[in-house]
Amino acid sequence: MTNTLNVRRFVILGLLPALVLYSLFVFVPVIWSAYYGFFDWKGIGAAKFIGLKNYVEVIHDPVFWRALKNNVIFVLASVLGQLPLALVLAIVLYKSNPLQRFLRSAIFMPMVMSSVIIGMIWQYIYHPQIGILNFLLDAVGLSSWKLQWLSDDKIAIFSLIPPLLWSFVGLYLIIFISALQNIPGEIHDAALIDGAGGLRKIVSITLPMIWSTVQVAIILCISGSLKSFDLVYVMTKGGPAHSTELLATYMYNSTFSSYRYGYGSAISTSIIIISLLFIGTSQWLTSRKSKQEAKGGHA
Amino acid sequence: MSGLLVEKSSVSPFKAGSGASAKKWKSTIFWILLTIYGLLTLYPLFWLVISAFKTNAEFMNRPFGLPEAWQVDNFVRAWKSSKMGTAFANSVIVSVVSLVLTLFISALASFVIARLKFKGKGLILGFFVVGMLIPIHSTLVPLFILMKQMSVLNTYWALILPYTAFALPTAIFVLTAYLTSVPKEIEEAAFIDGTGLWGVFLRIMLPISLPALSTVTILSFLHSWNDFSFALVFISKSSLKTLPLSIATFADGYQTDYGLTLAAMTIAVIPTIIVYLAFQEQVMKGMTAGAVKG
Repeated sequence: MTNTLNVRRFVILGLLPALVLYSLFVFVPVIWSAYYGFFDWKGIGAAKFIGLKNYVEVIHDPVFWRALKNNVIFVLASVLGQLPLALVLAIVLYKSNPLQRFLRSAIFMPMVMSSVIIGMIWQYIYHPQIGILNFLLDAVGLSSWKLQWLSDDKIAIFSLIPPLLWSFVGLYLIIFISALQNIPGEIHDAALIDGAGGLRKIVSITLPMIWSTVQVAIILCISGSLKSFDLVYVMTKGGPAHSTELLATYMYNSTFSSYRYGYGSAISTSIIIISLLFIGTSQWLTSRKSKQEAKGGHA
Repeated sequence: MSGLLVEKSSVSPFKAGSGASAKKWKSTIFWILLTIYGLLTLYPLFWLVISAFKTNAEFMNRPFGLPEAWQVDNFVRAWKSSKMGTAFANSVIVSVVSLVLTLFISALASFVIARLKFKGKGLILGFFVVGMLIPIHSTLVPLFILMKQMSVLNTYWALILPYTAFALPTAIFVLTAYLTSVPKEIEEAAFIDGTGLWGVFLRIMLPISLPALSTVTILSFLHSWNDFSFALVFISKSSLKTLPLSIATFADGYQTDYGLTLAAMTIAVIPTIIVYLAFQEQVMKGMTAGAVKG
């Protein structure tokens, strides 16, 4: 038999590598980032303590707000575009005949591709001279619709949404499919007997049954959209004229292109605060909604 | 989650009611549209592979359709001039080492959390799980400074350590959930036989958690294999660049030699696609595991 002392030693020994690695590289950096935000530092030489100056500058920086607005556009596009699309696809693809399997695999595939490759492919699609999108518009006689997809600062941010949806819709599709497969078959049968079919069934039975999954999906959308960096960095680097700047690309550009480590850290800290605020708000909203629905059900 | 592979016996929502022929027509059109959608999502990849075999002139003038003469030479040139071999080896090294570290460290921690009694268990699990919400990019600056001070920038460790650390929250979450569901009797018998804790962990718990470990494998391997931002910030030496970073830099240099760039992209994307095609269901399950259990 193992004695208590041995068990205690094993507990400590077993948790230690994970705790050290995780604290040092994931958790502590978050705190350090907040701390570095109080300094003026170019990456070399002495760091100068400047109090809240960086944080005040963040609040007054129009580019920061532009980046935040773009992040919000991404969040909205994901929550309002990706999730409904994924949900509809999941409802028609959750069974497993060969065509459904094929479609599922096809839609999920971009998830395993590097976002660098995805970004580069879409750069070619949007290319003003040799891009297949403008080529296609020419071919069908819509030459007047041709645009400078990525270099027009008014539309560039919207041009980034299709690649974003294309990359991630598969993730939510599979998440929703798993949730739908967990709904017992009797519930579908009962709905049929009651004469609830099509849209009504989806709204009144399917959606409430998988609401907790929808909530998780919303959180994933928010944290995922705030994590967007690779795709935008590869496709536009945040330009033209900051029009596609995201919080993460702005943080990167401020730190590693303008060598303002303190300012970059202050932006990093804002990213964490904003993402917690977003997630908290969405949790509050969706849980309120499910409570209301529960009440409505009883009435 | 386990239901992904299972055929459900429930009635399809779209076969409801009496089977009028108008309904059948509608459903046929519906499936045709859906198939078109599926093919459309595959098109960018198809376009990439096809275009990689074209000459520059053909690429610009005939973006659709198959190449007239398949330029295999593009691939040969891409492999040679972009040091793809080195980048490939780098990606394999950092991904495999961080995967092995992740599996061992997270399995050990999950075994402790899920199977042993000690104070503060919930707190420790919560501490790890919170990490799933931390946006990776908000740690780039402090990590860069930390690694500079540890002088590991521009070494494999600059990628292996953060890849492992960032894989831990999800890995521990998935493994702990799995191990908690294993009945207690399994190790009790082993303890009575005199097997020590390490023995139970290595000989009983690891084999039992194989399904969960394969989920973790898929998730963390794909993450480190495809990662761009850590590599971009922590690696500047060209001999240490991983595939995504090296492709991105390569494309900047060869902007107008399209066949060459596209061939390099194809070489980089093919391995993940092959693995995906071989293990589709497992990959889909693995990549959504953290989300579904949450």
